[in-house]
Amino acid sequence: MNNISTFDQLDQAIEAMIASPEAPLVKHDPQLAELLRVASDLLQLPRPDFKMHLKTELEWVASARPLSTAPQPKPVVDPDILPSLFRNAYGTYPVRRIHFAASLAVHAAAAVLVLALGVMAVKETAVKQATKPVSGGVVSLAEYIPPVGTVRPHGGGGGGGADMLDPSKGSLPRPANAQITPPIVVIRNLDPKLKIEPTIVAPNLHLPQTSQLGDPLSGLMTPSDGRGVGGGIGSNAGGGVGAGTGPGFGPGNGGNFGDGVFTVGNGVSAPRVIYDPEPEYSQEARAAKHQGTVTLWAIIAPDGRPRELRVERSLGMGLDEKAIEAVRTWRFEPAKKDGRPVPVMIEVEVSFHLY
Amino acid sequence: MNAIANLADERLLIEAAQHDPSRFAELYESNFHRVYAFVVRRVHDRTEAEDLTAEVFHQALSNIGRFEWRGVPFAAWLLRIAANTLADRWQRVSRNQELQADVLEDTEAETEEDVERRVILFQLVERLPADQRLVIVRRFIDQRSVREIAHELGRTEGAVKQLQFRGLQGLRDKARSQS
Repeated sequence: MNNISTFDQLDQAIEAMIASPEAPLVKHDPQLAELLRVASDLLQLPRPDFKMHLKTELEWVASARPLSTAPQPKPVVDPDILPSLFRNAYGTYPVRRIHFAASLAVHAAAAVLVLALGVMAVKETAVKQATKPVSGGVVSLAEYIPPVGTVRPHGGGGGGGADMLDPSKGSLPRPANAQITPPIVVIRNLDPKLKIEPTIVAPNLHLPQTSQLGDPLSGLMTPSDGRGVGGGIGSNAGGGVGAGTGPGFGPGNGGNFGDGVFTVGNGVSAPRVIYDPEPEYSQEARAAKHQGTVTLWAIIAPDGRPRELRVERSLGMGLDEKAIEAVRTWRFEPAKKDGRPVPVMIEVEVSFHLY
Repeated sequence: MNAIANLADERLLIEAAQHDPSRFAELYESNFHRVYAFVVRRVHDRTEAEDLTAEVFHQALSNIGRFEWRGVPFAAWLLRIAANTLADRWQRVSRNQELQADVLEDTEAETEEDVERRVILFQLVERLPADQRLVIVRRFIDQRSVREIAHELGRTEGAVKQLQFRGLQGLRDKARSQS
C-alpha cells in the first residue's frame, strides 16, 4: 500500500517537473528525492534513434573521405614486453655481425645456384637447337641468293589470291626469263584449256622443288595464295611469290630475287635509332585536336635507312603521311647477324600528341 | 594501469581513424554520451543539444587528421570542440557577451562530476529491461502521460507507474554502484 502511494507521489512530482522543468524540486523524503534527481537528468535524455542516426550520418561522410596516405605511426610497445627486442625503441633491435654475414652468405650461395642452373638450362637448349633442323621462325634468303658477281639481287615479287590467310609454305616454281602463268596454291580452274607451267621471273638457280607450290618463307600449312592480288602467291601484287611486287620472289619489285629480310631475334639484333626528328602535325589533325600513334612497317636496310615504309595502324587526317615523311628521314644503326649488317623488318610507332 | 591500457587503446583507435575515417565510428560510440551530456548540461534543450552534438562530431571527423596525441583522453579534445561550438552558437544567436563568458567560465570551473553522472545514466538507460526502458522513453523523451502510455501498452496506469518507479530505482542503484 505504501508502495502504491510512493508510485503516485513519484508520478505527480514527475508530472510537475515535466510541466515546468526550471522550477525547483519540491522537498520529498530522501528516497523520492533521489529518484527525482534521476528523473530530472532523464528529461535531457537523448532520443534513442538520434545516436544511431548520427552514427549512420558520420559513417556515410567518412566513407566519402579518402584514406590517409600518411605513414602509419609505429605502434606503442610496452617496454616490459620483450625488452631485448624493444630495448631502445621499436625498430632498433641490434643486429649481430655474424648473423648478418651468415645471412649474406646463404643468399649469395642461393643466387649463384640459381644462376648456374639458368646457364646450364640455356646451354642445353642451345645444343638441342643446333642439332635440330630449322623449320620455322626467321628464314634468311641468304641460301637462295646467288654468289656475288653472277646475279645481283635487286627486285622481288609477290601477289596473291586475295585470300583471308597469308600464303602457305611450299617451294618456288621454276624460275624463268618470262612469266606466262603465275604460280597458285589453291587451284580454282581444274580444267584449263591451255596448260602452261607456272614460273617466276628470276635466274634459274636450280632450287629444290616439290609438288606443292608456295612461299618458302611461310610457316603456314593451310593452302592459301595469300592476301595479295593479281595472281601469284604472296601479300602484295603481281604474279610472283612473296612480299614484293611483280613476278619475282621476295621483297622488292620488278622480278628477280629480292633481298632477304630478317626479323629481330634468333641471332639478329634489333636496329637502334640514332636520329629521329619529330614528325610534323597535319593542319587537319591539329584543327581537330586529333592525337594518337601511327604504326608503320619498315625495312631497315644495312645502311641504316628505312625502306619500304607501310602503314600498319592508321590515324588518318594526314598523320599517316606525316609519319612516313618523318620516318624516311630517320637513321638507324642497322641490325646485325653474325656481326654483319642485315636488312630487318620492324614496327615503328610514331606518336602524335598536341600537349 | 587500466587507465594506461585504455589510453593506449584509445590512441590506437585514433591512429586508425586518422588513417581510415571509417574507423571513427568506434571513437563516436565511446564518446557520444559524454559529448551529449556536456552540451545538454549547458543548453537545457534536447533538440539544440542534439544539433550541437552532431556538429561537434562532424567537426571532429573532419579534423581528426590534425589531432596530435599528447597523452590526454580523446574526450578532452571533443569537449574543447564542444565548448567552441557552444560559444559560436551563442554568438550566432546574438546572446550577450556576458553570457558567453559565463558559459566558458562554467566550462572550466564546473567539475566533471555532473557530466559524468549523466553519462553513466544515459548509458544505463540503454541497458534497462525493455518494458522499463519503453516507459522511461515515453515518459521523459516523448513526455506522454501515464494514461497515454498505459493505453499504448495495453496495461493499467498502476502497472505503468510501477514500471516507471522500478526503472528509476534501477538506474539510481546502478549509477550509484558505478560512480
